[in-house]
Amino acid sequence: MSGLLPLTGRELKKWYRNMVFFITGLLQPIFWIALFGSAFDIAKFLPHSALENTFGTTSYITFIIGGVLTSTSLFTALFSGTSIIFDRRLGNMARFLVSPIHRSSIVFAKVLSTTVRILVQAVILIGVAFIIPNGLILSNGISLLGIFIITAALIMVAFSFSSIFSIIAIRLKRQETIFGIINLINLPLLFASYALFPPSFMPAWLRNVAAYNPVSWSSQAIRNVILNGTLTGSVLNSTLEYMLYLLLLTIFMLVLVYFVSEKEIRD
Amino acid sequence: MHKDEYVIETDKLAKTYPGGIKAVKGIDMKIQRGQIYGFLGPNGAGKTTTIKMLSTSIKPTSGTARVMGYDISKDSMKVRKVIGVVPQDLTTDEDLKGIENMELVGRFYDIPPRESRKKAEELLDLVDLTEFGNKYVSTYSGGMRKRLELIVGLIHNPKVLFLDEPTLGLDVQTRTKMWEYIRKVKEEFGMTIVLTSHYLEEVDELADIISIIDHGQIVVTGTPEELKNSLQGDIIEATFSDSMQSKKFGEYSKSVDVTYPKENVVRMKVKDSDMEVPHIMKYMSDNNLSPIRFSISKPSLDQVFLDYTGREIREEEAGDTRKAQMNMRRLRK
Repeated sequence: MSGLLPLTGRELKKWYRNMVFFITGLLQPIFWIALFGSAFDIAKFLPHSALENTFGTTSYITFIIGGVLTSTSLFTALFSGTSIIFDRRLGNMARFLVSPIHRSSIVFAKVLSTTVRILVQAVILIGVAFIIPNGLILSNGISLLGIFIITAALIMVAFSFSSIFSIIAIRLKRQETIFGIINLINLPLLFASYALFPPSFMPAWLRNVAAYNPVSWSSQAIRNVILNGTLTGSVLNSTLEYMLYLLLLTIFMLVLVYFVSEKEIRD
Repeated sequence: MHKDEYVIETDKLAKTYPGGIKAVKGIDMKIQRGQIYGFLGPNGAGKTTTIKMLSTSIKPTSGTARVMGYDISKDSMKVRKVIGVVPQDLTTDEDLKGIENMELVGRFYDIPPRESRKKAEELLDLVDLTEFGNKYVSTYSGGMRKRLELIVGLIHNPKVLFLDEPTLGLDVQTRTKMWEYIRKVKEEFGMTIVLTSHYLEEVDELADIISIIDHGQIVVTGTPEELKNSLQGDIIEATFSDSMQSKKFGEYSKSVDVTYPKENVVRMKVKDSDMEVPHIMKYMSDNNLSPIRFSISKPSLDQVFLDYTGREIREEEAGDTRKAQMNMRRLRK
């Protein structure tokens, strides 16, 4: 797809050259894990046996790491659409539209560069989770398949959500509109999911909603890997099921982005 | 390559925007290889919309056009490969260096990096930006950015170059300099250039052929000379202190077209003022006429525009100030 690589390169260049943007992007997940993980550390109030039963671990950070990875991915992805609006407002889009590149590559470049940024954040986040007190413990080790599942889940969350928000941005002229939408849905997406608490903590209605939330799928798949090390039996099946949902969503979004952006993107 | 003799050919090309604004109402034109073709018209006349259709960034509502033999709707990708575009708005990325902007665009055309860099350096040299190639575009002045815009559209050796209001928002000196660069580009690469402007001097200075466009339609087409000659004559204007004199002056000759734009002001259209003025002088002294003001004007594009559209282009510019200011603000940033 012509234009995809140069445009993705442009995005990444703009990212690492803007030091404030670059560093805040990297600090954000650290704050998440260090502050949220400590402030909400329920493990302090409950006996170990109860923790093992509901969380599957005595370390809350170990429990929520899948959720924090997913939500970091989500929050970064939500903003990828905004740069389409800025490209339009700053005139760069006019240049792209008269160049012999696929119009969808303009949008896919946003999606791809966002994904790269998210993966860098994820590596830092996992590193920090290991070193902070009462942090991440991989008591059952981790397999190559596990690492693959974590990476794939994050990539799919990044792809899906940045695609959704890029499509929203394709015809928008004002960035305020998209900021409004992001603010409206980011917290519901996070809290109506299994990211921070197990389904057993939720009222039935919320649990039903959360079951359809892609944030839940990714959080739970990663959590299964982190808590169990090697996946077998029903845990393996449920993990693969979540991954399948994510895959279907991703494919659907990619096809949608392709057709919508080829046809609808405007100067 | 198609062996059409025209580089650009349109047939009833029209665009109606959603909301019903008819920006372009059917344009027929033919542009020959190697010409600088100027579109002259006030803001909102349909110039930019026409350029956007020809450069495939928007689709026409009806009608067709071919650029280098390729249909703009069916073969838009092929059209994009052979055209260079300098849109009205700034398109370069402020967060990248000058040369990086050019290399980025070079990659859109699959030009190998080394070749692209060489070409970029040549072009930067052409518009005297060599020492700024490695500086961030955010540090450029308004004139420098416009020059960069001009050469970004040239990195792939286009056969046709579209320049949409290339000097909008620039001061007079910078504008003159920009004209020089445009001429240099023309000489160096021998491409066909389609230029839009609402500055009369600009098209007069640069264009081989001019189309005056108004309300989405071409009103008249010709070389600047042809258009000026079409007015058939020079204008002589005399102001008198009383109506007796002005009336007498108006009776100078039956074969001359006389109008009275204001009380005591007489305007005459004469074939050749150089020949006519001595006779007029004699007539005035014979009749004891002494004007307070007397002027002779050779036809300018200003008058051509007035003649064909029924209004002066200057009037239109007033409403354009806000847009120009906004552009200036962005240029300065």
